[in-house]
Amino acid sequence: MSSSHDTHAAHDAATSHGAHAEKKSMRLMLHVWRQRDPSAEGKFVTYKLDDVSPDMSFLEMLDVLNERLIAGGDEAIAFDHDCREGICGACSLTINGQPHGFESETTTCQIHMRRFEDGQTIYIEPFRANAFPVVKDLVVDRGAFDRIIAAGGFITARAGSAPDANALPVPQVAADAAMDAAACIGCGACVAACKNASAMLFVSAKVSHLALLPQGQAERNSRVLAMVEQMDKEGFGNCTNESECEAACPKGISVSNIARLNREYLRALASSD
Amino acid sequence: MSVTGLLLIGFLVVHLAGNLQLFSDDTGEHFNAYAEKLKSFGPLLYVAEFGLIALFVAHLALGLRVTFENRAARSQRYALDRDRGARSFASSTMVVTGVIVLVFVIVHLLDFRLREMAPDGLAAMVVRRLSEPAGALIYIVGVGALGIHLSHAFRSAMQTLGLNNTRYDVPIARAGKALAIVLGVGFAIFPLVYFSGAKGSTHSASVRAAEPGATEDVYFLGKGGASLRGFEFRGVGAIEPSHLDDVGDPRSIGREEQR
Repeated sequence: MSSSHDTHAAHDAATSHGAHAEKKSMRLMLHVWRQRDPSAEGKFVTYKLDDVSPDMSFLEMLDVLNERLIAGGDEAIAFDHDCREGICGACSLTINGQPHGFESETTTCQIHMRRFEDGQTIYIEPFRANAFPVVKDLVVDRGAFDRIIAAGGFITARAGSAPDANALPVPQVAADAAMDAAACIGCGACVAACKNASAMLFVSAKVSHLALLPQGQAERNSRVLAMVEQMDKEGFGNCTNESECEAACPKGISVSNIARLNREYLRALASSD
Repeated sequence: MSVTGLLLIGFLVVHLAGNLQLFSDDTGEHFNAYAEKLKSFGPLLYVAEFGLIALFVAHLALGLRVTFENRAARSQRYALDRDRGARSFASSTMVVTGVIVLVFVIVHLLDFRLREMAPDGLAAMVVRRLSEPAGALIYIVGVGALGIHLSHAFRSAMQTLGLNNTRYDVPIARAGKALAIVLGVGFAIFPLVYFSGAKGSTHSASVRAAEPGATEDVYFLGKGGASLRGFEFRGVGAIEPSHLDDVGDPRSIGREEQR
């Protein structure tokens, strides 16, 4: 998916709906979770939209809805978003029961309305996990992830100016695996998709990408112990190895990282330092 | 959970190997001798049994804790909850199959361990129990649930112990499935064979006659069991087509045995 919307999107639509050169607007029935504040009782509110362009992104569709709500004197639906390019991890939402919707390795902001059917009913809910309390409507507090990262602490390797490329050898395999793990944008879809609301995929990605690199060796043991301890404190569930997290992850983080996290944790427990 | 689970799998392998001695002769003497040998360990047997029960209880307790913690991690459930197909039937029913196995193990212990030994030996007790429709059903459902449980268990345990990685994931997952099939089907053979009347008691033949609905499947399995027995008696080289015809009807084998 590219972010250079207009031309690319138009081309997309033209090829996939070749028969209908004229793009029709879509009608949608939306059931959106509305919750005034963390302590308030939330409920689904139904909205009908009649003229949704198939080229809109999902968030643009919500923008349109919000403009109407505001024009009509209602309060806009609160939802998280930032880059709208699928790289920041700010957007969330559960679309028809699936975090970030049904497309694989795609964030909510990168789904386009042409992927939905005209006349479709869509349920939009916040990510559900006790560790991610609802702040308002579709916005959840993912501060638990920040606290896990903070618990991991800093690395003591000199950050200074860029080192000589050959000064610190990194095997290609390790570099690739670390990069794959570092692709995690921390959006929380893994927690939202897990039937146990477990944060193992997120923590495993963060532990993995440093444990695999030479810069991460100094605090390798203390880091994993501290991060797992914080994860448990935050009230996430346990991993039962069903791999729904991997399937829901917009960055395709592999559950092999979870095996590595467990390995790192046992290794740290067994070590004397 | 992973450690206790893997140790319990180890026990199941030994248990199945022991059970297979039921098929090593027609009178059940080998199996009875095996049971007597185990009993002759005296206090050591109790130590081993205590260890097993401790493993089982620990697995159960850890399972309960994990389940309750996991339920507590999401108190507000999704109005619409759709998975992405990564979870399997086995993985999403671990608690259910676990509870079925628990009930089954209790029944199983009451059947063969906590009951007084019959005068004609343990093998005869097993054959009698598994020839009853209720007995066969309980054992098939019990070991079926066990097989389903195990098909998720092995890879899951490997993940939890950190012994999995991208290179070994597929072989490990396959090994887990194969293990589940070997143990599940392996244990299920006993009720299937005895209930179908291919081996052992005469009781089963009358039971089968009374259950017309089940005849077709049962007959097939009975045939398989009977021809196995044919191999044993006559030796592979000596089988002639006419002999194979003879052993085709399990009922005739039952009668032959009575004589």
